[in-house]
Amino acid sequence: MSSVERKEFKFKVVLLGEGCVGKSSLVLRFVENKFSTRHLSTIQASFQNKTVQVDDCKAELHIWDTAGQEKYHALGPIYYRGSNGVLLVFDITDQRSFQKVKNWVLEIKTCLGKTTEILIVGNKIDLDDERQVSRQEAEAYAESEGALYMETSAQENRGISEAFEALTEKMIQHSRTTTSEAPLSNRSIRLIDEEPLEESRRKKCC
Amino acid sequence: MKELSLRRTKRVVNTQRVMSDKHGEEDESKKAKMHLKANDLLCVNGCGFYGTPQWENRCSKCWRAHQNELKKSQDFAKNKSLLSFDQFQERRKSTTESKSRGIKNLFKTSPIPESGTSSPTSTSPSSTPTRRRDLSPDSLEARKQFSDFLVANLSTAMAQEIARSVKNAVNKISEMRLNSEDMSDLVISYYQYLGDRIGVHSYFNSPDCKVKVEDVMDQVEKYISTCCYSMFFCASHDEEVADMSLQDRIRSLHWVTAGFLETKLVFKKQNVRDKIDEAITELIEINAKKSAFEKLDCLTRSCKAIFEALKESESSTSADEFLPTLIYILFRGNPPLIQSNVKFISRFAVPARLMSGEAAYFFTNLSCALEFARNMNHESLQMEKAEFEAYTSGHMAPPLSVLNSACNQAMYVLEGTIETIVTVAKKAEDLVKNLTGVDKKSDDDLEKMLVLIKETVDIFPTDEYIQMKESIFAEEQETADLLVSLSRQSSESGRGTLSTSADNTQPSTPQPQLDPSFESPLAAVLKEAADSN
Repeated sequence: MSSVERKEFKFKVVLLGEGCVGKSSLVLRFVENKFSTRHLSTIQASFQNKTVQVDDCKAELHIWDTAGQEKYHALGPIYYRGSNGVLLVFDITDQRSFQKVKNWVLEIKTCLGKTTEILIVGNKIDLDDERQVSRQEAEAYAESEGALYMETSAQENRGISEAFEALTEKMIQHSRTTTSEAPLSNRSIRLIDEEPLEESRRKKCC
Repeated sequence: MKELSLRRTKRVVNTQRVMSDKHGEEDESKKAKMHLKANDLLCVNGCGFYGTPQWENRCSKCWRAHQNELKKSQDFAKNKSLLSFDQFQERRKSTTESKSRGIKNLFKTSPIPESGTSSPTSTSPSSTPTRRRDLSPDSLEARKQFSDFLVANLSTAMAQEIARSVKNAVNKISEMRLNSEDMSDLVISYYQYLGDRIGVHSYFNSPDCKVKVEDVMDQVEKYISTCCYSMFFCASHDEEVADMSLQDRIRSLHWVTAGFLETKLVFKKQNVRDKIDEAITELIEINAKKSAFEKLDCLTRSCKAIFEALKESESSTSADEFLPTLIYILFRGNPPLIQSNVKFISRFAVPARLMSGEAAYFFTNLSCALEFARNMNHESLQMEKAEFEAYTSGHMAPPLSVLNSACNQAMYVLEGTIETIVTVAKKAEDLVKNLTGVDKKSDDDLEKMLVLIKETVDIFPTDEYIQMKESIFAEEQETADLLVSLSRQSSESGRGTLSTSADNTQPSTPQPQLDPSFESPLAAVLKEAADSN
């Protein structure tokens, strides 16, 4: 299958971020266009599917929420393994949450290399008065790490669909430039036409 | 430390010997030393029994316990290194290159002649394998379901092709003596190969086709993983040991309850408790299923129950709440062989299912929960190390609080019952009050009614009443007449006695209590008599 002709994509997007930065609200706003202060919802917020149209391509996003509490930090790799995109969310009124984003970027880079696209999101821009992380600072950081940077407000529904679309676009580009047909199957794609050298070992088994 | 004390004991013995040789008469100091020596010989655990140096100064019982502990911790260390998820993933990657030879074996058309497989359900003539195992009853059942599915949903040619390919693969699986890891690689490559092969078929794009390639793959996976189950589920001893030690560990962490994990479950609600029980049951049920597909299905149901419990608790259903709750459910349920189940699923499920979709998300969360259970320490609960260890070893019980108490379910039930009893008692009290009120009111009403009746009767007397009145009047008249004649007789016989007789008769005379306005004829006569006196 030629990769240039592909119009339909399936992406796994993982949301990472400290507790209370608004990960779940972001997803709820994006998928359901809902916001509530206690985000009580009839749907589960931790796992969502949404199809995004970018240009003439359709991409199905599987959005995975993760637990943000500090004690579950070590479980991150299990979540973002095999993901096509990572959404790192921080709270612009909380410098510490931005520091945690930096930690995550390092972790992801060592764990996944360049197989995944990173989008850093500064949430809660409706609370601009209490801002602690400046836009310039975050943008400069994102650029130095080869990541995208967007600012959103889940409460006022600003910039959210744009953020997801930008990430989707990047993921589409990524999957077109990489040689494998689909990231999900690149593990075993070459098996059929390759004849390995280990016949002797195998023969012993059978 | 132990060596030190040993050495000390020896030295004491030596000096004693010297001392007893030199000053045999110094009994007191000897006694004191003897005493010290006896203490040193006691078991280091302080259980009161004597210890032995070769058992590191422990008594036989403590030594055995110590040995068990050691073995457990060794098993656990093994388990950690053996089953760590990342390592497993790494292994899989590293074997990717080496597997293609095996996969070729799997794809090789079997030596069975084409004519032998005229229908998709036909069994292969057992000409080839000498070592072939018979399929287990579960596999036979799965095979039947699989072929039924193919016959029902696909064209005959297609069904035949798939059935043949899968049957060959299953035969190969049971022929090849591989370990689970290598077999997993083969099976997954086979899924990939088969998926690609039938994916390009135009049949799936035709309007007659009711199923998708994924559905077919689900069935293939169901069948193949059921066949693999008997051979590769928890097959190695190490895996079983690792699973047992994980179960032990989770058991020792029983004190880590909802409160420590910061879940937002509201245990007071019966619905929440029911949903939690449901989730636990489903999680345990995973072990009872044979195919990866069904195992994942159980997991999905368990997680859905968790979401419902969270909803009932009016908590949000984000991952911040979900993961702690899943960990709590894992600790509460301590499902058997959960590690082997997770490994089995990751080995023999269609990879795409574990990378995207709902089941994949839940599976990942379960992996996270297991990882958390394996690595949990005092830091993950933000408490002192000594405290954590004391709780885990059972030397100390964690403080009881509303959320931390593990047995508080019973308490909640009791509380709920007491609450109900109190409300019932209050209701009964209210009822009694109401009843008394009603009683009083009915009494009042009765009185009022009587007065009313009397008034009414006075105003509109009935015939009966008039008759009665008249008869009474007539009787009184008679009595009065009698009295008059009597008084006449007495006045004739002598005056003066009438007054006494009249005085005597007056109270004995029945005085009908009727209308006060009613003038009794008797009274009139008496009055007359009195006047005449």
